[in-house]
Amino acid sequence: MEWWESLKEARVKRRQVLQAAAGAAALAALSPVRVASVLAQARVLTLDYFTLFHSGDAAAMDRIVRAFNEANTTVKLNLLQGQWAEYYAQLFAAVGAGNAPQIGICHSSRVMDVYRALTPLEESRAGNLLESGGIRPAEYARSVWTSGVYQGKRYLVPLDSHMWGFWYNKDLFRRAGLDPEKPPETREEFERAADAIKSRTNAFAFHPAEDALGRKIRRAWEIFFWGQGAELLTPDGRRAAFNNERGLAALDYLVGMIHRKGWNQPGTDGFKQFAAGQLGMLLAGNWYFPTAKASGVNFGFHYVPKFFERPTTWGDSHNLMIPRQRPDRVTDEMLVASIKAIKWINQHSDLWGIYGGHIPAYLPALQSPALRASDTWKIALTKFADMANRGYVHYPLVHPLAPQVHAAIEPHIQEAYNGRVPPKDALARAEAEVNRVLST
Amino acid sequence: MRLRHRGVIGVLAAAVALALLWLVPVLWMALTGVKPAPEIFALPPHWLPHAPTPAHVRTVLTTWPFPRWVVNSVIVAGVTTALSVVVSIPAAFAFARLRWRGRDALFLVFLSSLLIPLEVNAIPLYFLMNRLHLLNTYAAVFLPMIGMPIGVFLLRQFYLNIPFELDDAARVDGCGNLRIIWHVILPLSRPALAALVIYMFIFAWNEFFWSMIALQSPRMFTLPIGLRAMQGAYDIEYGIMMAGATLASLPALVVFLLLQRSIIRGIAMTAHR
Amino acid sequence: MTRRTFARAAEIAAFLLPFAAFWVIFRAGPVLYGIFISLYRWDPLGENTFIALRNYLDLARDARFWNALVNTLEFAVLTVPLILGLGLAFAALVFSHRHRRAMRWVEAGLFFPYLLTVSIVALIWRWLLDPDFGIVLLLLRDAGLHPPVFLNEPRWVIPAIAFATAWWLAGYRMVLFRAAMEDIPDELYEAARLDGAGAWRIYFAITLPLLRPAILFALVLTTISGFIVFGQVLIMTGGGPGRASEVLALYMYRYGFEFLEMGRAAAVGVILFVIILGLTLVSFRWLGSEAEL
Repeated sequence: MEWWESLKEARVKRRQVLQAAAGAAALAALSPVRVASVLAQARVLTLDYFTLFHSGDAAAMDRIVRAFNEANTTVKLNLLQGQWAEYYAQLFAAVGAGNAPQIGICHSSRVMDVYRALTPLEESRAGNLLESGGIRPAEYARSVWTSGVYQGKRYLVPLDSHMWGFWYNKDLFRRAGLDPEKPPETREEFERAADAIKSRTNAFAFHPAEDALGRKIRRAWEIFFWGQGAELLTPDGRRAAFNNERGLAALDYLVGMIHRKGWNQPGTDGFKQFAAGQLGMLLAGNWYFPTAKASGVNFGFHYVPKFFERPTTWGDSHNLMIPRQRPDRVTDEMLVASIKAIKWINQHSDLWGIYGGHIPAYLPALQSPALRASDTWKIALTKFADMANRGYVHYPLVHPLAPQVHAAIEPHIQEAYNGRVPPKDALARAEAEVNRVLST
Repeated sequence: MRLRHRGVIGVLAAAVALALLWLVPVLWMALTGVKPAPEIFALPPHWLPHAPTPAHVRTVLTTWPFPRWVVNSVIVAGVTTALSVVVSIPAAFAFARLRWRGRDALFLVFLSSLLIPLEVNAIPLYFLMNRLHLLNTYAAVFLPMIGMPIGVFLLRQFYLNIPFELDDAARVDGCGNLRIIWHVILPLSRPALAALVIYMFIFAWNEFFWSMIALQSPRMFTLPIGLRAMQGAYDIEYGIMMAGATLASLPALVVFLLLQRSIIRGIAMTAHR
Repeated sequence: MTRRTFARAAEIAAFLLPFAAFWVIFRAGPVLYGIFISLYRWDPLGENTFIALRNYLDLARDARFWNALVNTLEFAVLTVPLILGLGLAFAALVFSHRHRRAMRWVEAGLFFPYLLTVSIVALIWRWLLDPDFGIVLLLLRDAGLHPPVFLNEPRWVIPAIAFATAWWLAGYRMVLFRAAMEDIPDELYEAARLDGAGAWRIYFAITLPLLRPAILFALVLTTISGFIVFGQVLIMTGGGPGRASEVLALYMYRYGFEFLEMGRAAAVGVILFVIILGLTLVSFRWLGSEAEL
């Protein structure tokens, strides 16, 4: 009877489908961590290394990790490069879930709110990892080294320093009647150059903040603000301290560049303008070097001019760290392997300088001949390193609620920059919101 | 007579021009992806590239696991669609062809969630998937989508229009409900199944918010999320981003050129009551 | 219960169970779980504190939350006329000469953007509206107009995103409306034409009224999906300039995954759920008879 036959056929087919589905579901449930532990049993240790780098940075770190994996047979690094805004959130969630990567990145400015997710390196369950890894303080740039400690415990191993510098278009300088080998260093020289470019060429004169993102515009304002010797918050970190003449002078200057002097327009992307040869001068980070080079623009690089009392630039440092690990998932052996991998990355961070444009914090790498011979060094990095040595670099706010404070300030600074809100009101609103954030 | 003919040509010409204009953004994306950077930022703009380059495409394919993203999307969309169809068929049958107490009330309960999107569940789903250790797996993405009542809704609508006498005839012959589904309902509901498959596949392929939260490592990304990761990483480099966006459009374009009539017919089917 | 009714009940349960299981575990359950989470202050690395309705009170006092709500409403309201209007216009166009081959290609072309994912659509329009190099702005400037930099003007940013969304989705609406138009019996058109009615009169007197259920259903659907807009905003503006385009879904995402205030984010999810459920129920009442649900 055909109906009975076809029904049996259907039952068999259904069972096969269910089995396949169950198998697929089981396969799909294998997370990378389980794969890592399976591989670990095969006597090659695989460590997850999760960074927040993107673009040129990510490509540079990729080089380093590839070199590591080629040079090491018993340990492999599994590199995952994440997204900027959500990196620390994912880190916390991963640590909470017990499947954090074995190596990660942490900005020096964030140690105060991220430390809870990190392994204290001198007191780990595998002992003093700094010793096991051969990490010696004398081999690192001092200011970055000291930033890796919180409440007496060391959490971070420095990787680099990075900061904003002054990029300028030599051809536009020449067309504007300026000397391309004498970039401006004082405020008067800078303003004269900007006005010259504006009146004698049809390019934009200056972009203060890389692009149009809120956090970049905030950094530009902070450069002018810090340059007057001021700080965002009161020393106890409880209240805003920027709604005053210095905050206003800084914001007025920034807003005036766009709306009074017409050196640029709001909402524009300085990176693209500069790469298109449409921008005379740009404040941007050292990571811009590969893009500037690839653009074919005849560009020069110099120290950030002294806009106010002292020359100041925005900067931060990347550090390597080991997130907190679950003892039943990650062995002591893996912790030691992680710190050794960190040391290896430091030893090869001259690549980080050459291809990522950052200043290695590991002094032997900073002095490596390969780095010193590179274009990156000769054109930009030596001046970046000099700015660090001269103390021009100012870290962003170090505070447990720093992300929320920044998020409270940024929209108002941006609205003033866009010309929507007068600077005085913008600062008042920002102050009110920051105080609210700090009081909860 | 001739006037009307000219009128028709006029309308058709205008319509074709409209469609081409409508597609200019897609063309512009593709052209930007093959222009070298100086040409992308040239003013006045170069409408056609003077020196087209495959460099951006090469960068995209070598820096990112692009083919892997396509595979991930196919797996997620495929499993979602397949399982959605499989669980919707018997449920729709129970709602359409069987009579039982509480049937319409229960259907209304399921129906009320029809328009409620995945997004509102994002935070609790995140916690749930974390507990189940399913974060960053395909399962995390397809499991919630299978619970969408759209399949049950569509199929029930269709089943209601199949003559009930067929069921009765089969029952008289001694068939149980399973056989009725298999031998009577399924063969007749091919258009509805096609419509459901098309709808679910497109929906699952393009799902963004929840996938972005659930998938964390680049090797697991589906295509929309991978593209977003590229944008976060390369927001300076429009050539690379447009090349990536163009590559990401290719699967849709290929499928569309091959199956355009079926897809449009399938979508239209969901509108016919 | 007799064995027979039990067997019947068991069979019905078996039919419903697979779907119901997914629905309960992954759709309904999370709603309740979300309410539960929203009553706590969550800390991934430490203790979770029960704070009852504090999260909701904080939201009510947060100007940024209300800003997000207003932005979301503005977006939802704007997309309705854009998507429905374009959808109806295109459908009328395509329907009028639907037997011509050329018109099939026109329909295909207008429909195609729907198949693109939101990332692609948002990237395309971000590039088209770029302040220095976007061709939309360049062409408008060439035409002698002084267009605002749409994505950087608080008053224009949401309409601009709404327009990009309409470009993306209108084609899908067009197909649905066109199909509904085909359901209208030809005799009605014949009778009207015999009476001497022109194309426009037919459209307004016959087509539109008969499309009312479809239009109203589309209105509800578009409004609701407007409430959860996320991808386009994230990629085109990131919520900017300032917070002028920060919508509820983005606010929820930021609080959940940038500030790690999961309880507060869950509360936003609950609020979104309540709004959408309310809209759904109201529209079922209103459309129930018309749309034959």
